[in-house]
Amino acid sequence: MNYFPDEVIEHIFDFIASHKDRNSISLVSKSWHKIERCSRKKVFIGNCYAINPERLIERFPSLRSLTLKGKPHFADFNLVPHEWGGFVHPWIDALAKARVGLEELRLKRMVVSDESLELLSRSFASFKSLVLVSCEGFTTDGLASIAANCRHLRELDLQENEIEDHRGQWLNCFPETSTALTSLNFSCLKGETNLAALERLVARSPNLESLKVNRAVPLDALTRLMSCAPQLVDLGVGSYENEPDQESFVKLMDAIKKCTELRSLSGFSEVAPLCLTAFYPICENLTSLNLSYAAEIQGNHLVRFIQFCKRLQRLWILDSIGDKGLEVVASTCKELQELRVFPSDLHDEEDNDTAVTEIGLVAISAGCPKLHSILYFCKQMTNAALITVAKNCPNFIRFRLCILEPNKPDHTTSQSLDEGFGAIVQACKGLRRLSVSGLLTDKVFLYIGMYAEQLEMLSIAFAGDTDKGMLYVLNGCKKMRKLEIRDSPFGNAALLADVDKYRTMRSLWMSSCEVTLGGCKRLARNAPWLNVEIINENENNDLMERNEEDEREKVDRLYLYRTVVGARKDAPPCVTIL
Amino acid sequence: MTTIREVCVKINFSYFINNKKSKEMEKDGLELEITELRLGLPGRDVTEKMMKKRGFTEMIMASSGSNSEQCENGLVSSGVDVEKVNDSPAAKTQVVGWPPVCSYRRKNSCKEMLSTKVGLGYVKVSMDGVPYLRKMDLGSSQGYDDLAFALDKLFGFHGIGVALKDGDNCEYVTIYEDKDGDWMLAGDVPWGMFTESCKRLRIMKRSDATGFGLQPRGVDE
Repeated sequence: MNYFPDEVIEHIFDFIASHKDRNSISLVSKSWHKIERCSRKKVFIGNCYAINPERLIERFPSLRSLTLKGKPHFADFNLVPHEWGGFVHPWIDALAKARVGLEELRLKRMVVSDESLELLSRSFASFKSLVLVSCEGFTTDGLASIAANCRHLRELDLQENEIEDHRGQWLNCFPETSTALTSLNFSCLKGETNLAALERLVARSPNLESLKVNRAVPLDALTRLMSCAPQLVDLGVGSYENEPDQESFVKLMDAIKKCTELRSLSGFSEVAPLCLTAFYPICENLTSLNLSYAAEIQGNHLVRFIQFCKRLQRLWILDSIGDKGLEVVASTCKELQELRVFPSDLHDEEDNDTAVTEIGLVAISAGCPKLHSILYFCKQMTNAALITVAKNCPNFIRFRLCILEPNKPDHTTSQSLDEGFGAIVQACKGLRRLSVSGLLTDKVFLYIGMYAEQLEMLSIAFAGDTDKGMLYVLNGCKKMRKLEIRDSPFGNAALLADVDKYRTMRSLWMSSCEVTLGGCKRLARNAPWLNVEIINENENNDLMERNEEDEREKVDRLYLYRTVVGARKDAPPCVTIL
Repeated sequence: MTTIREVCVKINFSYFINNKKSKEMEKDGLELEITELRLGLPGRDVTEKMMKKRGFTEMIMASSGSNSEQCENGLVSSGVDVEKVNDSPAAKTQVVGWPPVCSYRRKNSCKEMLSTKVGLGYVKVSMDGVPYLRKMDLGSSQGYDDLAFALDKLFGFHGIGVALKDGDNCEYVTIYEDKDGDWMLAGDVPWGMFTESCKRLRIMKRSDATGFGLQPRGVDE
């Protein structure tokens, strides 16, 4: 069957990077399976409980780079108890014991301890890159071990983690010989930073391209950092609430002018408008701008800045920019591919006149032909607007719309938004991710099932009328991988209709729906290859001890996922695995 | 105008409606939902779990003004977490995890940061006509004179101090929002009381101040 020696085939496989493609290759034949698995360097595991580290290592002995995801997505919104799971330690332990030559580790929504980081830092001599996103459980002591022991560290990227800051000297722990850093992001650290250590580190890292500092790095320090790193491509600034004096401002601007490679800006929490102004010299070069934490900058200042950012491809902003501001974005940023508009007023404290509406969305869709990803929090929407957006932008891959008030109908017709979202899925043939909101009936799910052929991830909240809604989706969306539903009237009939469907999906989340304990038990019996987890935070957690009558009890939170290694052993008391 | 808070304090308990399928009904195959009236304290038992799709709309309507009538009748829609109604009359009941903004972002959005700082004496100060907010530490001032001086320095404008001292003779008034959410003229109450209750400051043009809804001055007048 093979006309080429294995080495040649392996060489050909080297050109194939995508996980999906490599997974497909491994299914062709036994010999291809073997060649593929022995040569595979990067592995992506979307659910850390779908497999265990021993089997991973057995299959992929040449593993160099591992990506792991732990908690379900809705953990971001406090819907998953803290102690749910997603511990990385067993993975690092197993990889260390097997002497895998690990070089990269990327974790999302996992629990990481200082012990894990210490073990990681001591076990892999070639370790180069650590990326932690939305993780928790560790302190700056763990970072100190990474800094001290990973001699070849190139990348330390900490995004949106909960890190206990011991205000230690972790930055000092990078040895003087460490000069290989290309990326350093510690923006989520809350405590003080040893500025001298940071400046020395940056000064001796000529390859540093990405630097994101935390709140505690003041303006003059930033100026010095930029002066010794004019090669920066990606910069995250700290917090500058007071306007700089004339001299500091001039120095900052001079330093910024020299950063001709700068393409990406972020940070800006609590920033006085003048500090933003200092970046005018390079804003024409920017391709990525994240001002979504800059709640104090008023809309007109934002707009004034963005007016010059003609090359922007990615923009994350707050809704304080307003519809008018989005119209400016639409007329300026013709290269825009990804837009995220976050709500600035989460507790509805003030009468928010500047939040965005359907007007802004339509303007963006009309002005930005390359737009393919959007996350849009708004206070109102209409079907007409969504239909226009669909016509203007048939290239959406990700479309996430969040109308702040649940169940809100089209504000001009008082009808549901079924038709609007229907238009989106019909026009956007490549749509892979969708979040719906507003008043929605079963009909929208009929449309989704019918048209959203490439849809892989769907988020539903406060929507639908009957089980039919969920069934349309399960039956129609052949490529569905992750389905997450909250506060919607879907029950056992939908859950149990096609058990084999869950073989093709990574996971299903249902909270505050109509599924009962009995339904979940039946599912677990019919699908032993699924972990069916019931999460309850009530006092009487012992579901198994209740009598049969409680089968009709509605389940608070259900999380099910396919797995080849059976029920996990590290579940806390509030989680019952059926 | 009675605030929601006051109305609820009058009521020692609330009735809430718990929709539950009756087991006997089901055995007969009738599957009728009966409503079950239960006595119970507001709060803990009324979790978001009880909110079905329509329940949320009821909840929002209940919490935005029609609440007082419903409370007085003794009927509160399922899903209203009365316990959560805090001192601010504008507060709406919060649904867990909604809007879907990740917790890191919630904690780090500027407004969250500032509201935790209030306890330490920091307050937001805004001035009409100035496009950005300032923050200042009330604890670093010893009295109204000090405050006047600090405000002048903060905005580089010399009229503010005069306003505090002179009362009626200048272009600007200094007002503050107290713990109850009411806007009061600064300078009336003793300094200690002021620092304890002041949540934020605003320097407003006198011409805009009339009709703003300032609480009337103290008894001394």
